[in-house]
Amino acid sequence: MKKALDELVNPQEAAIDLEPGLAERTSAATKKDGARPYPGALVVVEGIDGSGKSTQLYLLKRWLEIGGYRLHFTEWNSSDLVKSATKRGKQRRLLTPVTFSLLHAADFADRCERQILPLLHSGYLVLADRYVYTAYARDSARGCGVEWLRNLYRFAPVPDVTFYFRAPLEVAVDRILSGRPKLKYYEAGMDLGLSFDRAESFRIFQGMIMEQYDRIIETDNFVVMDGTLKVDRLQRKMREIAAERVDLAGYLPGRKP
Amino acid sequence: MSTAAKTLRRRAAKGKNGAAQPLPRFFGATLPGFQDEELHGSLIVLEGSDGSGRSTQIALLTEWLESQGFAVQTMGLRRSSLVAEDIDDLLANNAVTRMTLALMYATDFYDQLEHRIVPALRSGMIVLADRYIFTLIARAVVRGIDREYLHGLYEMSLRPQITFWLNVRPETTFEREFKKSHAISYWEAGRDMSLSSDLYKSFIRYQGMVKKEFEVLARRHQFIEVDGEQSVAEVNGDLRARIAAHLGIRSTRFRPSSAMTPAWR
Repeated sequence: MKKALDELVNPQEAAIDLEPGLAERTSAATKKDGARPYPGALVVVEGIDGSGKSTQLYLLKRWLEIGGYRLHFTEWNSSDLVKSATKRGKQRRLLTPVTFSLLHAADFADRCERQILPLLHSGYLVLADRYVYTAYARDSARGCGVEWLRNLYRFAPVPDVTFYFRAPLEVAVDRILSGRPKLKYYEAGMDLGLSFDRAESFRIFQGMIMEQYDRIIETDNFVVMDGTLKVDRLQRKMREIAAERVDLAGYLPGRKP
Repeated sequence: MSTAAKTLRRRAAKGKNGAAQPLPRFFGATLPGFQDEELHGSLIVLEGSDGSGRSTQIALLTEWLESQGFAVQTMGLRRSSLVAEDIDDLLANNAVTRMTLALMYATDFYDQLEHRIVPALRSGMIVLADRYIFTLIARAVVRGIDREYLHGLYEMSLRPQITFWLNVRPETTFEREFKKSHAISYWEAGRDMSLSSDLYKSFIRYQGMVKKEFEVLARRHQFIEVDGEQSVAEVNGDLRARIAAHLGIRSTRFRPSSAMTPAWR
């Protein structure tokens, strides 16, 4: 409590938690010398729709839950805070690439400041189904500048591991189209005027997003996962890598990371 | 009318006719989808704290410009059709964190920029902005958000042709606001920042911090500082002189309509 007050009274001090942006902290976060500013760990999955990422993260979460680890699961989907605005914008089709991007950033900021950061500071494993890379890939496919987007999300903590699930475009798109016939306007990228046919527009849009993801594999230390492998085999691999990159024992009850 | 205003008026009289001014441009990157088309209108910004007289001046300037045959569009904070209501809700229950609030204001701003300002400028209108990105930047900086982060956030906004800063002392602001509503709002007093439990002290300290940030912005963005302690008519004279010079209006003479006379005092 005392600390929170000090931060507010000395705004210059409070600026610190925004300073270590993604770029500066990328190296620090991957080092195992305790350079991270919090004891928690952040595990992220990314990939286009139908790449298998959510299933895999769910299975990882179950494994950790059953093992008794301290964890929190968070999704990219809108929190209540900006839900009404997003809904209004989508219904009335008011959203432009910029305002679409900003609303999602506001939504993420809320989750980041009220859930992700406090939990990382209190020593939790935070599992995120989609993270800022979703914004980089999708919003840059929509035409927002990469530099602008990078700056926009500078306040986001850098993940300890980012699993990038990659399946051939046709495989991923068919998984979605076969299971869910009705695609939403923005989801299908209809605002970009790629095609009058929703399914076709979705296909093209997902391809553009994948292209953007592929561009940042190296710079953002993605662990590329083959989304065409069998579910259990892929999960075994994911657990191995997670255990390698994160000191999991530290997240058991009564233990400190 | 002040001496500076008279000088400007003389210069305006000598200036070329018509608004052959440099085109509005972005601070940094261009808005996505923006074609390099011509924006014929002018973007004129009025910045200043609450109680600095901005709204009154905007109303007077609108009347004057319309009497001169210019079409006017206005914008201001929390006026977008996209998120204005949501920001009102967030402010009302003050459970919002500073980053979220800053980004909601950015959404509100860009919605107006894309749906109101750019179309208006494209059709040659004069856009009068009742506050602009500078207020948003200053408020966020005093709450600890990095300056360069904010300049990056707003880099796709248009550079105004003129930015006026109606500079008033926090003490004057307090008096004017109190006279207007017999109370001081939570946010105007910066109460989210726990500066002082005394409302007056909190207000003065907060407004002082914002003002200091405005001084930084004024240098960086070449604000035209106007002494907001002057009378409404004097301030308006200063603004008209500068705008007349910019738009090539020969006469800055103006008598407000009866509807505006109470504000004129």
